[in-house]
Amino acid sequence: MIKHFNKELNSDYFNEVYDFSGQWDVPSRCGLKIVNQGTKAVVIATELYAENPGTSVTNFCAPLATAICNGHNIGHENMIFIVHTPDTKSKLTFMNENFFRVDFSWDGNKFTDPKWSQIEKAKVDELIGINKKLI
Amino acid sequence: MKFKLIYPKWEKLEGQTTFNLPPHGPVVMAAALPAYVDIEFVDENVDELTFDDDADFIGISMMLTGQIKRGWQIATEYRRLGKKVIFGGISTMLHAEETMEYADSIFLGEVEGRLEKVFEDFKNNKLQKVYNYLAVHPDINSIGPARRSILNNDKYYHKGVRMVDLFHASRGCKYNCYPCAVAYLGGKCFRPRPIDRVVEELATIDNNRLFIVDNSLAQDKQWEMDLFREMIPFKKNWCSHPIEDDDEVLDLAAQAGAWFVYQAVFDTSDYIKNRIKRYHDHGIAVEGTILLGTDDHTEDDIKRLIDFLLEINLDLAEFTVLTPFPHTKAYDDLLRQNRIIDKDWNHFNAGKVVIQPKHMTPERLQELYHYAWDTFYKDETQSEKMFKLFRSVIMKEIANGTYKPIREEMANNSFGKRVKR
Repeated sequence: MIKHFNKELNSDYFNEVYDFSGQWDVPSRCGLKIVNQGTKAVVIATELYAENPGTSVTNFCAPLATAICNGHNIGHENMIFIVHTPDTKSKLTFMNENFFRVDFSWDGNKFTDPKWSQIEKAKVDELIGINKKLI
Repeated sequence: MKFKLIYPKWEKLEGQTTFNLPPHGPVVMAAALPAYVDIEFVDENVDELTFDDDADFIGISMMLTGQIKRGWQIATEYRRLGKKVIFGGISTMLHAEETMEYADSIFLGEVEGRLEKVFEDFKNNKLQKVYNYLAVHPDINSIGPARRSILNNDKYYHKGVRMVDLFHASRGCKYNCYPCAVAYLGGKCFRPRPIDRVVEELATIDNNRLFIVDNSLAQDKQWEMDLFREMIPFKKNWCSHPIEDDDEVLDLAAQAGAWFVYQAVFDTSDYIKNRIKRYHDHGIAVEGTILLGTDDHTEDDIKRLIDFLLEINLDLAEFTVLTPFPHTKAYDDLLRQNRIIDKDWNHFNAGKVVIQPKHMTPERLQELYHYAWDTFYKDETQSEKMFKLFRSVIMKEIANGTYKPIREEMANNSFGKRVKR
């Protein structure tokens, strides 16, 4: 149960709060949205900052992506993984909203070696489409 | 059992006045040791470290990222000599995976109530590779006075003048500031110590000058006011991180001995100007902490900020460049953007540029960092401004009868080394 969840975070990009065991088993959480697009599944993991008691999405990208894939029966080759840093309503520009696509290597069991590339919000909207069925 | 606890040295920032304060982590750790453990403490910043000793077990306590490579070197030498080495402290927590490569064991988290298990395991030759208590904090009531008796206090005098002792009244932080890892280290929930436990600890400290190291005291107004009320009879003078911006709280803080605060100055707004003025109105000096090189800083912004600092009569200023310490938002952002250009942890000292700034070259940011120090201290050096601050506290101590004269026999010593008076 999230008691203090910040309702102002942009909910277009997450549907649920996803709890995971982070680095050194610290209880952690992020926002999560998964959208089926044909054979592909677009996974958006949102940083929750103060609402996340543990490891950040960025710090735990590869194990988190692996856990989400396994938990939602997504084939590793079919996942498009996006990190979302939401707008925090700060006047500081580095607290603005951003999206990063993450590409991983696959070692047979898990994702490794995350590589981030920033993508435009419009591209994310295109990837997730409109009125797509949520998993 | 002989346990040798080592606090590795680090390279001090070029051009800045060197102060070695008695470290806090090791004295907190020492207080939680089982009674049968004999501890020897070596602060390599003020003591010489030798390896020809008869310690049974070696501990390395690290606070700064700039200490870790030296910590790893020390561990390597001790392990070559056949000693078991355990690491702890906040930079061990920030660099845990790497540090494991140099350790027989690492300890993650807070120590109260946990060290009996570690030392029993050591005695039984069953030392675990990791003692992971990151997710579960000890009961805040269980935190008693730190064990400052392990320190060689004479080593923390500068020209006969005793520097501050470090002290903490709370753990954790509810703020989640961009460059700071405290929320990761101590949790995102503010955990104030019960006032009676704080008072119990204050009564054990014979130094009238303290540094309250809590991340921010401005997290629970009622607790903060209760704390200051109880501190008044001790007649200590202290510095701290920010205090609640409230006249009643500031008044109590001043009565409790607030000497100066470290206050982040991040823009040239009236808010900041008034914040500084309100501290000054209550007789509390301000050392501005100024972070240069964020994505909002152009060269002109940095120059304007420095001019502003001179206008608002800051008592001291400390400039740093944005440094992405692990487990901060700054680290995450710059990692994703592939803008961390130097990964030598010895360079993560907040004085050397290790990132690609958004609006200038790394070299230009480095120049502006030096420009900031030089410009702010052009008319009055850092040492002169510090002397003024010390003079103000000495006047307070004389007025309230707590002044202890400088130690003449140590007038030619500074942090354990011979210097000219």
